[in-house]
Parts: sequence; structure tokens; C-alpha cells
Amino acid sequence: MKNNPFAYVLSGLFVLLAHLAMLANIMYNGNYAQLSDVWTLAGTVLGLDLAWFIIMPFFRQHSHTVDFILILILNMSLIFQSCFGEVHLALKHMITCIAALAASRIGFFLCRDHNWIAKQKKFVWIGIGVVMIIILLFTGSRSMWINFGSFTIQPSELLKPLLVMACATSVAEQQKKHKLLWFNVVWENLILLGITAAICLLQWWCRDLGSIPTFAAIYAAGFLMRICYPKAKFSKKTLIGAGIAVLAIAGIGIKLAPAYVRDRLFVDIWSDKTGNGYQQSQALIAIADGGWFGKGPGKGFLHNVFAYESDIVFSTISEEWGLLFALMVIFIILLMLAIPLINPARSYYHGTLAAGVCAAFTVQMALNIFGSCNMIPFTGVTIPFISMGGTSMVTSGLMAGMLIASQSPEFGKLPTKKAPAKKKKPASRPAVRKGAQA
Amino acid sequence: MKSIKRTQRIITLFLLLFIAGMAALVIKIQREAPFYMMNSDKHELGMVYDRTGEVIFDGSGKTQFADGALIDLGNLIGDDKGQMTNTLVAQNIDKLNNYSFNAGLVREGGKAAIYTTIDHYANRAVYNAYMGAKGCAVAYNYKTGEILVCTSLPNIDVTKGYDGIADLESGTLISKALYGTVPGSTQKVSTVISALEIMGPDKLFAKSYNCSGHYTNRTGGVIDCHNTYGHGDQNIQQAVENSCNPFFAQLVSDPDMPLSSIEKVYTKLGYAVNGAKEQYIDIDGIQCEKASTTLVDPDDFNTQWACIGQGETLVSPMQLMMWQSAIANGTGKMTMPHLIDRVTDVYGDVSELSKTSYSKQLFSEETASTMRQILLTNGANHYTGSIPGFTLGIKSGTAQVKEGAEDNSLLVGFVDDPRHPIAFCVLLENRYSTPVTSEQIVSTMLNAICN
Repeated sequence: MKNNPFAYVLSGLFVLLAHLAMLANIMYNGNYAQLSDVWTLAGTVLGLDLAWFIIMPFFRQHSHTVDFILILILNMSLIFQSCFGEVHLALKHMITCIAALAASRIGFFLCRDHNWIAKQKKFVWIGIGVVMIIILLFTGSRSMWINFGSFTIQPSELLKPLLVMACATSVAEQQKKHKLLWFNVVWENLILLGITAAICLLQWWCRDLGSIPTFAAIYAAGFLMRICYPKAKFSKKTLIGAGIAVLAIAGIGIKLAPAYVRDRLFVDIWSDKTGNGYQQSQALIAIADGGWFGKGPGKGFLHNVFAYESDIVFSTISEEWGLLFALMVIFIILLMLAIPLINPARSYYHGTLAAGVCAAFTVQMALNIFGSCNMIPFTGVTIPFISMGGTSMVTSGLMAGMLIASQSPEFGKLPTKKAPAKKKKPASRPAVRKGAQA
Repeated sequence: MKSIKRTQRIITLFLLLFIAGMAALVIKIQREAPFYMMNSDKHELGMVYDRTGEVIFDGSGKTQFADGALIDLGNLIGDDKGQMTNTLVAQNIDKLNNYSFNAGLVREGGKAAIYTTIDHYANRAVYNAYMGAKGCAVAYNYKTGEILVCTSLPNIDVTKGYDGIADLESGTLISKALYGTVPGSTQKVSTVISALEIMGPDKLFAKSYNCSGHYTNRTGGVIDCHNTYGHGDQNIQQAVENSCNPFFAQLVSDPDMPLSSIEKVYTKLGYAVNGAKEQYIDIDGIQCEKASTTLVDPDDFNTQWACIGQGETLVSPMQLMMWQSAIANGTGKMTMPHLIDRVTDVYGDVSELSKTSYSKQLFSEETASTMRQILLTNGANHYTGSIPGFTLGIKSGTAQVKEGAEDNSLLVGFVDDPRHPIAFCVLLENRYSTPVTSEQIVSTMLNAICN
């Protein structure tokens, strides 16, 4: 903001213009009972935009690009969710959008300082442990939800940002190898692998099998980052062994999967379109019916199908707004994930954060979109920021905050022993510590 | 900085994999969207035309058809009501829908249509020629594969709906040309082909067997001949012309014709032998049965009976006709039949165009040429009077059905004329109780197609 106010204002105008165009489409092409419904939605969306633009400069950041994309996506999501069936303000979704924005700030503050978070690493591990215990104690073996009256929380969602943080904070341990039998191992990596496996087993126990690929992807991103870590010395044998192990685990997983999961793996949705294939067949029909440009906001039929606002939301958007628009929204999320390609992370830690978030978001989107369109087995995962769901929105916000942190990092002072006050450093030794972080 | 670039590569990897998946999704949706729409309750079906442009199905229901105008086509072309599934419309309904992903569902003025190869005039003429008898007739161009006639009786006028469906005669809702029937002596074509493939023409023509009116095989089974006085000593040409059962029973048990070799040739021809998995021919989505038989022991009555075309042998009339194309073309490869000439999309642009295709080599060109000559000689010697005006290669058959209570008459053959390369198969059920003969039906059919 301070560096380039012109760009800041221009970006803000672009976001406003995009939302105005969508609102105009609703006004002229949408299905609404009364015009005041559209005005209410417009006021909320534009108010949220302006509030965010005003609040953002108060945070000291190198770049606000991710923030602009975040508000762009969130308000698009609010508009979509408010139009399904008939135009109305989706109040619950609006609250979760605000919560996601707040969570992004928390994610940013937690993750921006490499050295600070390195010192707090134990709390990340403790956090993972606490959430796992909560799941064990409060969700039950066939459920992933905890109910608080009319509110429900999916605690396993919170494990996603925590696992990303655990991967990022442990990556520097790669060079601390120890001899175990015939292998050189890194204790922290082994613990991380064990924790990921435990999380996956817990998801299995909760029958939230759709989340397992997301956790596996986060771990895989962290694993790849460790392979690429300077002087990591991973042998080809290790890599091949890891690959074989993954395939074997996947094979065993499919073999041992519950009957309803295997049914989903091999279901022919068109011959079972009133049973197991109902949601997917209706989702595909809706996309076909919507065509490139959609039937108009609020004019679809898919809102009559279960989970239209979450599990098959891509199809619901395609039907009402058109496949072109649905693809554009996904493209905007990809753009947010691709920001580290344009403006590289400043440290390996921040790079690992960005890669972990990218892995989690792309795998979640793939599971949701490809699953609902019958390209892969159908799972109940959400599209980050687009699907309705409070816990999902908050955790997505937290992870967006990690992306912001990777764009606007801070490097606090390393813990050093107290040195004699005015002792001169030898001229030949450069100030290497900062460089070492990069 | 080098290590930071590695993080970018990993991010790029995830993004590229996802983008590749999205690209595949868009292509899939573009291609399959008409199918998705046909699974909804939102359709706007177009027309089906015959080869002259006459409407033979109107999805909009606006065309007024004369009473019974489409009764010869009911169980082949079908409709969208779901009562008959193995029909042209039922199997190609997504092509008929006036929908495209780009245009959406076009309620008025859509031009989605299927242009068939059927000659409705000839088809109707053949239907009328049956004079109420039951059976089926199928004919196609053995050079191009275009099906010109395919009618089956009894049939249904789909424009009248399905009231009283429970009272319909058996076989009304299926096109019999697509389903297995006892082939009678038309099976001998397959047996001669097998003998030619196994022994070669010289050796086969040198063989001679005696017919005394019946033949008792080594296991004591008796094969009767339709000529109770017997045909005397005959060679293969004479045996085909006489359709002599004892000759073929002796041929099958000849040590020069090992049963394993017969089984091999039969399998190549498309027979499911001894309970092997039944095979099907796909004709523009319509499923057509091929053939099946049982071959156990060359001296066994049932095996010999099967090679003569009775007992457990079943062949669809369509398949019988297709073998004729492999003989008539002289290549040993069948011309694959098709019903759809072209398909137009919602804008009227051609989206699919038929292409002539052939089967793999079923038998050698030498076998095809010899078999062709045998059938042409049979046609010249026995059918110039009953089917005048055509040079025919032909083989008749009488199939005993309902445990010998009824005889079905079959005629398979081809026209040896480059201007009218027609192969055909006619089935006339319970021939002794009908006022018409299979020769008359073939004659009517060829005249309607060629003149």
C-alpha cells in the first residue's frame, strides 16, 4: 500500500468491478422474489469488499496480492451461495466468509516469522495431538462431526493447516540424520510420517475417507520438499521404495475399504442413477443443462439435490452461471496458489508452507470436482472457499494466511548467545545468518 | 535461491496435474453432454429418415402418419417410449436430441436427425409380401454395408402406442433378423466352407458319398434325407444342390475332416461352439446375435445334425446374410452392416458419417471363390424360374422347429451383379401354413430394391 498506492486502488477497483458485474447479472438475469433481495446481497458484498480494502493497509505486508484474490473469491462464493434456488442473502455463509478472512489474518501472524514459529514448533505437535484426541473422544467411529446445537464442527479439518505447519517447521531438520540399524534417519521425519499415518487411520475410523488423499498430499508435498532440501541426500532406492510403499498402501486400502466405499469406486452412475449414482448423474445433467453460459442465477434445479452447496457445488455453479464461469472461479483459486511462482517465497520454510497449501487445495478441488463429475470416486470433500461449511472455510482461511505469510515473511532474530558488547567481528567473516535462511 | 526454485517446481507440478485433469473434464463434458441430457427429462427429439428422405420416426410427434404406415419398421426403428430397447432410436437417442453443449436445448427448429440406409418402399413391399405370415427378411449392399431391408413379422405400429401390449403375439417387439434361429440347410454353407478350408477344393470335389435316403452313422444314429429314394453317389456340388443330409453327415465324419478343425473354422466364422461365450455384432448400437452350435464327436448324431443345421445350432438371419457378403465379395471378409448413413446435429451439420468396414479374414479367398461358384451354380440350376431376372448365388434351408412340429423356410444368397450387389436372408416361419413361399418374398424384395 505504502509502496504503490496506485496499484492498491486499481486492484481494489478490479475486485469491485468483478463483483458488480456478477450482481448486474443477477439483477437482469436472476431469479429473485423481490429486488430488495438483490440490493441486500449487493450491499453486503460491496460493504465487505470496502471494509477489507480499508482494513488491509493496517497490516504490514510486502504484498497484498493474495488478500485481493481472497476477497475476490470469498465474495464470489457468497454471491453463488446466495443465488442457489432463489436470490437471498446466505447469512450463514457470509458469517463463515468473515471468519475465513479473520482466519487468514491468524494464519499470517502465526506463520510469517520463520524463527518465531520454529521456537513454537512443539505447540504445533501438541495442537495436532489435541485435535486427534478431540476426534477420538467426541466424534464417534462413524461420524466426523461434533454438534453444538444447530452448529456443527468438523475437527479433522483443523488438522490440515496444522499438518502443513508441521511439515514446514520440520523441513530444516533434514540435515540432522541419525543412524538407526542400517538406515540414516531423521527423527522428526519419522515422527511426521507416523503422525500422518495416525491421522489417516483416524479419518478411516471416522469414515471420512475423502480427506485421506488431502493429508497424504500435504505429507507428499512436505516429503518432496525434504528431498529437494539442500544436501538432503535422498537415494533413488529410497524414492523407489517410497513409491512402492504408497502403491501398496493404496492397494491394501482399496481392498480393506468398507463396502459403501467400494460401491462408490465401481458404481456405474447411469445404471444406478436413482441410487448410489444419483448425486453424480444429477450433477452432470446440471452441467450439460447449464452449457457454457448457464441458465441464470437462481434458475437451476440442482439445489433440490442433497449437498448441492458443498459436495457438488461445482455443478450447481455450472448450471446457474455456466461452465465458463465455474472454470474461471477455479482458475482464480489456482491463480492464488500460483502467486509463489511469480513472487517466490523468501525462505525454504515459507516455500514449504506454500507447497503444502497448494497440495491441499488442489487435491481437495480435484476430489470434489472430478468426483462429482464421475472421473474418480465421489467423496464428500469441499472446494476451498466455494463450498458451504464453516470449519472448511476457517481452515481454508488459515491456509490462505500461510500463503500471505509466504509473500510477506518476517525474519526475526535468531536465538544467539550473549556476545561481548563491542567485540569486533573479523573482517573476513560475512554476516551469513540471514543468507543461510534463504 | 536454487533451493527456492525447487519449491516452485513442486507447486508447478501440483498445478499442472490439476489443470490437466480440468482439461480432461472439459473435453469429457463436451463429448458426453448430449448423453447426460438424454438421461434427464429434458429432450427435444429430431427425425429419423429413410434413404429417400421419408420420415420414419418423428421425435416431436408432429408428423401425421397414415394408419399403419410404419408397421414394417416398428421393431427395428423403435421409439423413445422404452418398451423396445434393441432398436435404432433407443440405442441412438442421444444423437437425436436437439441439444448441444454450445446451443443448449433447442425447442423449435433443431435439426438433429438420423438418416438411415433403409429403403422404406422396399421394406414395406417385403412386409406386404409375407401376406400375414411370420418371419423376417434382411438385405444389404455387400459392397457398402448399407442395410436396405430389415423387416420382421409380426410387427408393431409404434405411432399407435402400446395399448394391449400383453396381447401382442410373441416376437412382435423384436426384430427377428437380429436373433438366433435354427438355420436348416443354410448351415451347410458353413460346413462347405469348413471342408474347403480343411481339405482344399481339389480334395473336396474328389470326395463322393452315397445317399440311399438315409444314413446310419457309426454310433447307430440315423440321418434321414428329404428324398426318401436317395440321391445316389454325389460330389459336393450335387450335394449342395440336393441339400443332401446323408452326404453332409458322412462328410463331417470323414477322417480328412477332423472335428477339431471344423470347430476352429466355425469359431472363426463366429460360432460360439460347445457353450463358449456368445458373441454379438454391433450395428449402430443395436446388438445382433451371431451363431452357436454344439460339436462333440464326429460320429455323434447331434454333431452331424448340428453341421446340417438342425438341433442345437442357432444363427441369426443377419449373420447368415453377412457370410454371404464374404462369399460374394470373393475376399473371405464380411462387409459389416450399418443402418445409419449419417447423423446431423442440432444445426443440421453432419456430425457422423458412415464408413464401410470389413470383418477380419474368416476364410481364404480361394474358399470364397469356390463357395461363390457352388452357390451361383445352385442358383442358375434351381432358382431362375422362381426368382427370375437375377443372377443369384443361393442356398435354401428348412429348419425343423418346435420339435419337428413346424418347418421354417430359409433362403440365403447374393445377387451377382455389380450394379446391385445385394446379399439377403429370408426366413418364413411354418412354411406349410402360409400362402407365400420364401422364393416369392426374395423375388419381391429384389425387384423392389433393384427396380
